[in-house]
Amino acid sequence: MRNLRLAHVIEAGAWLSLALLLFISSFDFSQEIEIYKFGASAWPRAILLLIAVAAVGQLFGQWLRGEGQGSEMLDKASDDGAALAAQLSDHNNPKWLAWTFLLMTIPFVYMNLPGMTGEWLSLDKSGLHQAKLLTAAVLITIFLLAIRGNHIGGMLTLPLLFGAFIQDFGFYFTAPFFILGTMYLMGERHWKNMIMVGALIMGILLALFVSLLYVGLPTGNISPFYEFGTTVVNLLQ
Amino acid sequence: MDTLTNFINGTITLFGDPLGIFIFFGGVIGGMLFGAIPGVSMLTLAAILLPFTAHLSPEHGIMLFSVIYCTGVYGGAITAILFNIPGAPENAPTAFDGYPMTQKGQAGKAVGAAVTCSAIGGTVSAVIMMIATAPIASWAISAFGPPEIFALVFFGLAVASSVGARTFWKGWLSILLGLLIAVVGLDPVGGIERWDFGMPYLLAGIHFIPTILGFFAVSEVFVQVEKKAKGSYDAPKVSVDFPSLAELFAQKIAVIRSIVIGFFCGILPGIGATLAAFMGYNEAVRWSKDRKAFGTGKLEGVVSSETANNAATGAAMIPLLALGLPGGALTAMMVGVFQMHDMEPGPLVFLNSADLVWVVFSAMFFANLSILLIGFLETKTIINLLRIPFQFLAPLILLLATVGAYAVRGLPIDIVVMFIAGIVGFFLRRSGYSVAGIVLGLILGKIGEQTFAQAMQMLHFEWSGFFSRPIAITLIIAGMLTLLNSIYSAFFKKST
Amino acid sequence: MKTTMKYIASGMLAGLMTLVSNTSFAACATDSLPASVAGPDGFPERALTMIVPYGPAGGSGQVAQAMAQAVTELTGVNINRDHKPGGSGTVGMTAYMALPSDGYSVLEHIDDASSAHALDSSKPNPASDLIPLVVSQITFSQIFIRTNEDRYTDWGSFVEWVKAQDGKATIANVSKEGSMERVTMKAISDATGISIQQISFDKGAPRYGALAGGQVDALFEQPGDVRKFLDAGTFKPILTILPEAPSAFPDVPALSDAGLDFEPLYRFRGFYVHKDAPADRVEWLQWAFQKAYCEQSYQDYNKSKFMHLIDSFRDTDGARELITATIDQYREVYREMGLEVK
Repeated sequence: MRNLRLAHVIEAGAWLSLALLLFISSFDFSQEIEIYKFGASAWPRAILLLIAVAAVGQLFGQWLRGEGQGSEMLDKASDDGAALAAQLSDHNNPKWLAWTFLLMTIPFVYMNLPGMTGEWLSLDKSGLHQAKLLTAAVLITIFLLAIRGNHIGGMLTLPLLFGAFIQDFGFYFTAPFFILGTMYLMGERHWKNMIMVGALIMGILLALFVSLLYVGLPTGNISPFYEFGTTVVNLLQ
Repeated sequence: MDTLTNFINGTITLFGDPLGIFIFFGGVIGGMLFGAIPGVSMLTLAAILLPFTAHLSPEHGIMLFSVIYCTGVYGGAITAILFNIPGAPENAPTAFDGYPMTQKGQAGKAVGAAVTCSAIGGTVSAVIMMIATAPIASWAISAFGPPEIFALVFFGLAVASSVGARTFWKGWLSILLGLLIAVVGLDPVGGIERWDFGMPYLLAGIHFIPTILGFFAVSEVFVQVEKKAKGSYDAPKVSVDFPSLAELFAQKIAVIRSIVIGFFCGILPGIGATLAAFMGYNEAVRWSKDRKAFGTGKLEGVVSSETANNAATGAAMIPLLALGLPGGALTAMMVGVFQMHDMEPGPLVFLNSADLVWVVFSAMFFANLSILLIGFLETKTIINLLRIPFQFLAPLILLLATVGAYAVRGLPIDIVVMFIAGIVGFFLRRSGYSVAGIVLGLILGKIGEQTFAQAMQMLHFEWSGFFSRPIAITLIIAGMLTLLNSIYSAFFKKST
Repeated sequence: MKTTMKYIASGMLAGLMTLVSNTSFAACATDSLPASVAGPDGFPERALTMIVPYGPAGGSGQVAQAMAQAVTELTGVNINRDHKPGGSGTVGMTAYMALPSDGYSVLEHIDDASSAHALDSSKPNPASDLIPLVVSQITFSQIFIRTNEDRYTDWGSFVEWVKAQDGKATIANVSKEGSMERVTMKAISDATGISIQQISFDKGAPRYGALAGGQVDALFEQPGDVRKFLDAGTFKPILTILPEAPSAFPDVPALSDAGLDFEPLYRFRGFYVHKDAPADRVEWLQWAFQKAYCEQSYQDYNKSKFMHLIDSFRDTDGARELITATIDQYREVYREMGLEVK
């Protein structure tokens, strides 16, 4: 085992299984193209092969001489304190990682579940919207309960949740909650400061992008959030 | 002196009326500001201004974009230096030494060098552009086909793989991951759906702008959050001690070398300023006697990368104007603006819209000059951003990034992609992988696959066809040698 | 009276010039519609949103801009264009379908929506899942070569030369499977017996650069998109993919002249609204978009893109007919080509 550590094997294993999984799924699009004999799957498969080779090469290199085989020049540049911060906050421990990853599935549940049930129950547009509202309410509750004691995990998940909600509920409605949530998770507790800064940030964004430059930010698709969003836009433009 | 007459005419059009002057300085300040606000870049500004320029006259619309282009490439350096957030991938190498300089309390020195070198690189490049565009256009149009561009992409990736990651293997794995992400969406030949995982929005592919915003801006916020949670967050030290003339003059070789490198990288369609900056930096390291000092805050690192990427701006206009081939996202948007105003970039542009071409040239020349003036004034204001408590800055950064990611294509999925990239970047940065490498792979992956397919179709699927194209085979061999050299040193060279 | 005379005169002229040329030369298609119509209950109270599934620079982006401008000139209502490019138009379509059907949002789309539905019927049918407001651009394709090309100079010598190359001749083309471009190239190859390698370019500028720089031997394109190259004399068409030659290209052989017997496919661009949008609002939108087609600014734009050579206008019913016929035609070709039709 010369210089090999368990982490090295896991790293190589992760790359190899990624390559394998994607290789299997590349059969979904491995159809022929009449004018291009390599088809749609040759290029991605070549990349997957190279990934496998590089992962094995890296493992061999680590076996040969451990982690110290750095390319001489940029070892320092790639380390900007992120690794140290992670170590200090004990965020490499498996339990924290597992909980945080579980937390981060919440936004993906929202992005997929209502659509899937909608198809299953063959809901129309308004039925789908109600399914989404219900799912959102449940997921927000779960999120709020789950982030107690894991504010970093919450901070990683909150933007994703915001991103998942923005299409249906609109930027104008969700952004203020997002600002307040971010400040809270980062340890700010003076509610006066939070509201003032939040209003300032929203003001800057709306004045700059909506009033001045006419950027069409998402207004949302679901009533009454859609009406709220379009009213805000109307007032500002 | 035809060139001079044209230049004077272009200048008169540019500054002939008050609105023109207003738009010019608005563009200069806006480009720098957006380049410098963490989380947004000149690309954000450009994406936002694109529909807006439709209401301007052709001269003004085209001028505005030319100005944003030059000043934005510089503006991205400020955040790269101060926050380790390159405004765009072409500023990534600037962060390698610029951010360590900030940590050492030399932010002002780094920014000052970036200002000066951006202005020098950009201005020189603009002058060469004015003289060289027309003759180069007629040469490159037949000499540079898809096989040559593919060979160039390959060479670029081979060179870039040694930059930014902890080891050769991690560098390559980062780039390969980027190439892999570029596969998502429709394949470039048959439009066949790949890895969309049932989500129709993914068919549009994963765009590099949200990915850049996520990897750099969002993941940086997460890292700061974590540091803050453990009390290890310290605000970057601020200084405004600009470099002395002697210090700058000592960099003259680095500047000249980077202008040459930057210009030649910029001229090549589809590569542009990003590779210019990486190669400018890379060569600085290779030429140096003191390689170890790079990455720890060496002024030459900042100088090399910032000169090169601004030198690429003028050069990138050559394929853009002469062939209609954009070198990157912003130049691609410029094509849009040109076309909106009925100026079709391509071999005939000098024939049809010579006056507008000269507006572009003059605007870029003066924009680069004005970096020098406004850069020094504005930078002091921007440095004050660092004094804002991070819990208040963070939501602003995240929301600006959200707007920036969304404005590019109007797709909500881009916001989600950006935040996922932020989380991935957060975990990858602990591990020695290079987020800049992933981004480079993503940008060049699409061009690479497309030109590879075109080359194979043109060469009738015979690899030997590359040998009949001297430029292509030279570049491929050069790339191979670079690769072999890296592999050799990864295994056999004693680590020092 | 004066204007009527002018219309009649130019109508006669147009009639003399060509068989396929049409009314858009003469009196405009929607001159009979009222000059202004009040929207139901003050509709629209605010700016409309136009989803454009392509970037701002291409043909779709430009026609969206021209039509939006014309509608605004006509009605004073602003139209915000929201570009959602990607996935050959599917992404913009998906985003549009998810929007509320209140008549405040309209969609620009091209014939790709029809061919996409023909290939996979789970994708929306623009004729029945949407209401076409107007089709405002219909155009045809041509094969182009460099003007200074000496290996071949016209369609006849080109076909000879391609045959002599034994499959090694190249043509730059858009290459999405089942696209109008690919299907048409297949029809040409079948009808002439030539075998030519298509090179895939999905963006316009590199495609034109490839021909100008001699990377490829020929180019498949619509004339409006390469007008600059035609005006400058860099490219010249050698085949018009229409049954009969239009007035602007009298000397370029059309399908009948070249002895090619197939039904040409057209590139068309139009504007749509949700099918369940309130009927009175749809009516107003139909009026606005059809009437705007005849605004001078829009007519000038269409002319600059060679969109006046064949009848470029279809109202709602005409558009439905066009789309349905197109879908049927594609389905037939796909089955012949052995593509899987879902």
